[in-house]
Amino acid sequence: MNDQESRIAHKLTAYLDRGAADLRSGTVYRLQQARSAALAGVNRARTTGTELALAGTGATHAGRPGLRGTPVRWLGAVLLIAALGFGFQQWQAVQQVHEFEELDLHLLASDLPIDAYLDGGFQNWLRTTFDY
Amino acid sequence: MLATVERRAFKQAMFAVRDEDAALDIVQDAMLKLTENYSDKPASELPMLFQRILQNTIHDHFRRQKVRSTWTTLLSALGHRDDKDDDYDPLETLHASTDTNIPADPAANAEQAQTVRMIEQALSRLPARQREAFLLRYWEELDVAETAAAMGCSEGSVKTHCSRAVHALAEMLKARGITL
Repeated sequence: MNDQESRIAHKLTAYLDRGAADLRSGTVYRLQQARSAALAGVNRARTTGTELALAGTGATHAGRPGLRGTPVRWLGAVLLIAALGFGFQQWQAVQQVHEFEELDLHLLASDLPIDAYLDGGFQNWLRTTFDY
Repeated sequence: MLATVERRAFKQAMFAVRDEDAALDIVQDAMLKLTENYSDKPASELPMLFQRILQNTIHDHFRRQKVRSTWTTLLSALGHRDDKDDDYDPLETLHASTDTNIPADPAANAEQAQTVRMIEQALSRLPARQREAFLLRYWEELDVAETAAAMGCSEGSVKTHCSRAVHALAEMLKARGITL
């Protein structure tokens, strides 16, 4: 590349610059739109990247509640589930006690002796007579 | 960075594909690829990266066009193919036809606008690799190494393409009465 080539090339590119400056307004607008779309993609990617980066540290972003409270929330949920399980177990135990009480009361209040309920012949007589 | 190069990028694509819509699509694709894949790169590397992406996107356009044209030829000619076209590579040998899609300049009567148009047309008639080298080296002002990287060729090839491009342009313009 000698000096003469460079000189000619720079004259030519000066003309090309004028051609690029004289683009139609519609073309310029579409180029601006294309650039905006490309840059919007960068901003989205940066925002997502920042949130992903902050997620690991438990930091906050843009004033919103961050992920720092996540372990506390998990612990609360586990405790709530454990409390509900314990409550259900206690309720079941109380219900069973009440069933036993009712059964005992029924047996004590009945005219039949307790041994009658244990007699297989009596059970068969009940089944054939009352069909239950 | 994109704002400063978008017009030249569009013109580069226009010189290559000679279709405004296709050129705009190419520039948009190149911008999106740059921002999606290289936004974390240092600003100093972006111009060269953008030019490389732009050239690759132009090449992709021609490859797709070639595939489409091959299928069209196959289907329309029902197997009557011209064997000498087998190794045809538009990137190496593409010359412009006389009827380009470059829009007529509204100030065509002005000598300067006419000169610009003739230079652009001459540039469109250059072989693709010569045009790429010329535009990257002189219009985008990349150095020889950056131009070679953007074009995916050796520095020696860049110098050769640039030299041939300048001489070819000077000859074409001289034939039309423009002396540089």
